Amino acid sequence: MSHGLDTGPAIAAIDPDTPDFLKPLAHALLRINGAMVALGMVALLIASCVLTYSVVSRYVMKASTDWQDEAAVFCLVGATFLCGAFVQSLRGHVGIEAIAGLLPRALNRLRVVFVDLMCTGFCAFFAWKSWTLFHEAWVDGQTTSSSWAPPLWIPYGLMALGMSLLSVQLLVQLSARVNGFFKKPQEARSAARSTEATS
Amino acid sequence: MSMLLLGSLFGVVTLLFMFSGAPIAFALGSVAVLFMYFFMPASALDTVTQNVYEEMASITLLSIPLFILKGAAIGKSRAGQDLYAAMHVWMGRIPGGLGIANVFACALFAAMAGSSPATCSAIGSAGIPEMRKRGYSPGFAAGIIAAGGTLGILLPPSITMILYAVAAEQSLGRLFLAGIAPGVLLVLLFAGYAALRYRKEYVLAEAEYKRSGAASALLAAETFTRREKFEMLPRVVPFVLLLIGVMVALYGGFATPSETAGLGALLALLLIAVIYGVWRPKDVAPILSSTLKESTMLMFIIGMSLLFSYVMSYLHISQAAAEWIVGMQLSKWVLLASVLLMVILLGFFLPPVSIILMTAPIILPPLKAAGFDLIWFGVLMTIVMETGLIHPPVGLNIFVIKNIAPDIPLNDIIWGVLPFVVLMLLAVLLICIFPGIATSLPDVVMGAVASPAR
Repeated sequence: MSHGLDTGPAIAAIDPDTPDFLKPLAHALLRINGAMVALGMVALLIASCVLTYSVVSRYVMKASTDWQDEAAVFCLVGATFLCGAFVQSLRGHVGIEAIAGLLPRALNRLRVVFVDLMCTGFCAFFAWKSWTLFHEAWVDGQTTSSSWAPPLWIPYGLMALGMSLLSVQLLVQLSARVNGFFKKPQEARSAARSTEATS
Repeated sequence: MSMLLLGSLFGVVTLLFMFSGAPIAFALGSVAVLFMYFFMPASALDTVTQNVYEEMASITLLSIPLFILKGAAIGKSRAGQDLYAAMHVWMGRIPGGLGIANVFACALFAAMAGSSPATCSAIGSAGIPEMRKRGYSPGFAAGIIAAGGTLGILLPPSITMILYAVAAEQSLGRLFLAGIAPGVLLVLLFAGYAALRYRKEYVLAEAEYKRSGAASALLAAETFTRREKFEMLPRVVPFVLLLIGVMVALYGGFATPSETAGLGALLALLLIAVIYGVWRPKDVAPILSSTLKESTMLMFIIGMSLLFSYVMSYLHISQAAAEWIVGMQLSKWVLLASVLLMVILLGFFLPPVSIILMTAPIILPPLKAAGFDLIWFGVLMTIVMETGLIHPPVGLNIFVIKNIAPDIPLNDIIWGVLPFVVLMLLAVLLICIFPGIATSLPDVVMGAVASPAR
């Protein structure tokens, strides 16, 4: 499904509700995400080139194609996971807001806190399990089962790194929402207006 | 715990998490992990990430970002406007030609870009103002573009079909081929309707002219010289060549579908660099970053949906549900109708990606047992999911159009789109009655498979 969903703001910004002591972290994340997107762009281009080379080498040079698919897989898995936090910073992971949006405002602000809490929990768990997977692959020297047999710690490491970044990103966003929830009602109302304007 | 209780619990928790408004990917992942924790051996949780990686690390699935890149490259260039202008000039003489030109431009663009919303905005941003200027009613103009855009997920390379091929373990090349004739059928139906509706609006405009003397723009004739026609060609030819080249590479046996994705993406980037001068890093970066944004979002949903289905089948929920459906002894057409109805209902809320990956383990075994060809069903399911793109309440394409033509009331757009939904359902019916529409092209090109009892 190519949806071309352009949801959320086009440029990542820091939620004004972010607690002050986390603001440096939020700024750092913004820069890291920028770097990850740049890496992702390069990975996309490399993957396209590798696959094109695969076609050419098979039909022009009659060479066997053994490593191209896997190299492309590594690039694309890396690009996907490393950019997860970037997409989250734009709140670009789509959800079904249709029904949740009908809730009264106060309840809704509680809902978004819980939603972020759940996502943070899930991603942190996933990141932790990715690191253990990475560790195992590293220690045991696991490789893929193909003839090229590249080490598996490469994609596992990319996955673990990406999910960790995503968890930190979610944590910062969660802290902003919790902070926003406990602000005084008047402040909260204006904050709600400003988050609505940005989201 | 009994199967029924477990299954219902799973269903209720899934619905709750999905409708909480959490991102679909994380909602599905959380449900999967929760059920692993409570109902599966402890070791299952240790391999959860390995599971996701192994499901995702397939080059077929990972060709999706590259197909998106190809679409984004073409979508962000002026190719859409050029293609549209050429179609307009070449079809100016036919009654209703402008509407038909829009349908054709949508179809061609969709086949190159593989994206419904991208097609809507690329062709619609040129086509809707032009049609309205020439006197077409706004709803009609919007309907043509919204419906034309949906062709993107039926004509190859369609991302929906890639996922279906993976979920149903069918040949992707076959599925792509099977989508072509139904795609052409839809183009013809849309074009036929556009011509009829044009006649009707023309007659109304004529009557109005006779009554009050107010001439509608619809009545003005428009001609283009031969020179104008040929001047338009060079801009469109390269893209049509790209389209044909990719098809030949795929079906001539030169490249696998995933290699085609890489080749297509690279060629598309090259073409826009040469023709439109889009080659500076600052021009290309937005294309790449919007690709990353969309593909990352999609791949996360795909990875987590796969984890979700793994848990569902480990706990035997999908098998039990499938057996229950088979056990109902429905006649095969009732079964098909109820499955398609369910897909339509799910289409109200879920993107096609999730519909396919979440329901495939449940609905495909009963359909197979009933003797349906799964390639054929893939085409049907895709068309039905397309209607979800243009009918309320979600109807993504409707909102894309609302975006590019904000002054058309939403009501007009919806009423303009509805006849096209009916046409799509008509196409579904036709393909049910004549399955050959979908299956004969792959049979001819790739040889018939050992035919399942149909």
